[in-house]
Amino acid sequence: MIGAQMIGSLRSVYRYRELLWALVLRNLKVKYQSSLLGFFWTMLNPILTASVLIVVFTNVVKIQIPNYWAFLMSGYFAWNFMAQCLNAATYTLGEHGPLARSIAFPQEVLIISTTISRLIEFTVELLLTMIVLAVALHGRVPPSYAAVPLLVVLQFILCLGLQLPVAALSVFFKDVQHALPIAIATLFYVSPVFYAADFVPDWMHEVYLLNPIARLLTLYHETIYKGMLPSVEEWGAAAAFSLLTFLVTYSIFNRYKHLFAEVL
Amino acid sequence: MEHAAVRCAAVSKRFRIYEQRATSLRETFIRILLRKQALLTRPYFALSDIDFSVRQGEAVALIGTNGSGKSTILRVIAGIYPPSGGAVQLSGRLAAVLELGAGFHPDLTGTENVAIYGAALGLTRREIRARFDDILDFADIGEFIGTPVKYYSSGMVARLAFAVAICVEPDILLLDEVLSVGDETFRDRCIERLRLFHQRGGTMLLVSHDLETVREMCTRAIWMSQGGVRMDGEVNEVADAYLALA
Repeated sequence: MIGAQMIGSLRSVYRYRELLWALVLRNLKVKYQSSLLGFFWTMLNPILTASVLIVVFTNVVKIQIPNYWAFLMSGYFAWNFMAQCLNAATYTLGEHGPLARSIAFPQEVLIISTTISRLIEFTVELLLTMIVLAVALHGRVPPSYAAVPLLVVLQFILCLGLQLPVAALSVFFKDVQHALPIAIATLFYVSPVFYAADFVPDWMHEVYLLNPIARLLTLYHETIYKGMLPSVEEWGAAAAFSLLTFLVTYSIFNRYKHLFAEVL
Repeated sequence: MEHAAVRCAAVSKRFRIYEQRATSLRETFIRILLRKQALLTRPYFALSDIDFSVRQGEAVALIGTNGSGKSTILRVIAGIYPPSGGAVQLSGRLAAVLELGAGFHPDLTGTENVAIYGAALGLTRREIRARFDDILDFADIGEFIGTPVKYYSSGMVARLAFAVAICVEPDILLLDEVLSVGDETFRDRCIERLRLFHQRGGTMLLVSHDLETVREMCTRAIWMSQGGVRMDGEVNEVADAYLALA
């Protein structure tokens, strides 16, 4: 029964694909129209943070990873994508409250549109990283790069899966806006962003990998930084985590979405 | 018998009134811990047992004092609020102008808002483009169409909102106090356009306090009072009865 509901919901999202594109276009437009340097600003923030992390962890706290800069770059942008999407989820529905109070449409379209517009920016960041690493680290294009698109798809699904409950909760509880930055700051330390997942002691490893973001970041490190293809088990686990998260949270979202217009 | 465009069967709507909106998380905890309804909210019946249907091509006015449930029933019909009981059946595409601004995003230009609004109504890009000149022409806001909506006057917002809703050529049109916003000229043009819509067989449901307009535009009126239907009938009869009591 839940399966049929899910298919119905996904179908209605597809019916509203025109709205989805209109929203994606406007998200990008709003962002780039109002600032002179446009895309430069989007890139500057993560590049600046990544540079600071690289300087600190190669010179001050010396993390023993060869070519640390390359390691950090291979996962940092993916982390940044996730963090920004989660953050956007707290205000997206509220921002479009007037529209939701005037027209009945599946509100997950709003969430998906912000994720897609961020995804476009992330794709550019990721491509640049892959080019830089291919040239300066690998000296060739590693065959494992071919698996990156699949990785991005899995991350997109996971991202939506984490955004949906955050967005739904934000509608009802203003507290979420205050709690989320703390959650993101914590996630930054318990995910392998500036250190490798192998650093985690064996006894913690099982618990550590319950964090779905940790699994995905590890896959980014392997395919882009190490230039190796992760094992089938690793792929399977990451895919299962992403899909399961999405399916569970989407059905919860569907259960509450009809109440949003009243509260917004 | 003619086909019903809108059918409301025993529709009721219950809201929860939050006395202290900001404490809702605390309230939820209390409710979970005590396993009972916390005292901070109380249910409020905005609509109870609403039964009526509107035939295709009919122009119906909803009249009544503030808080009688007129706007709520429009929202339930539009599918924005789920009914707490009963059901609404629609046949045809519905467009609504339910509040000033009609869901426009203040930071976006008129053009962008039209694109999003049209898409949310289910139009394709091509359909929106085909209607764009018509919308621009009717809204009569000139080059302001390229300016963020937050710089519009309230009359301009109302004009654009109305223009979009009427130009998407819906089968059913819901209007909530739209005609009272603009100036005389705009009001006259709206009425003219609504007549055309009516002649083409469009179904119309409008909320208004302006009984003159109601008598002019509609053939039937529903008088709502305290979330229920008090009287339903020929427009002049209902309007007279309403005036006699007010």
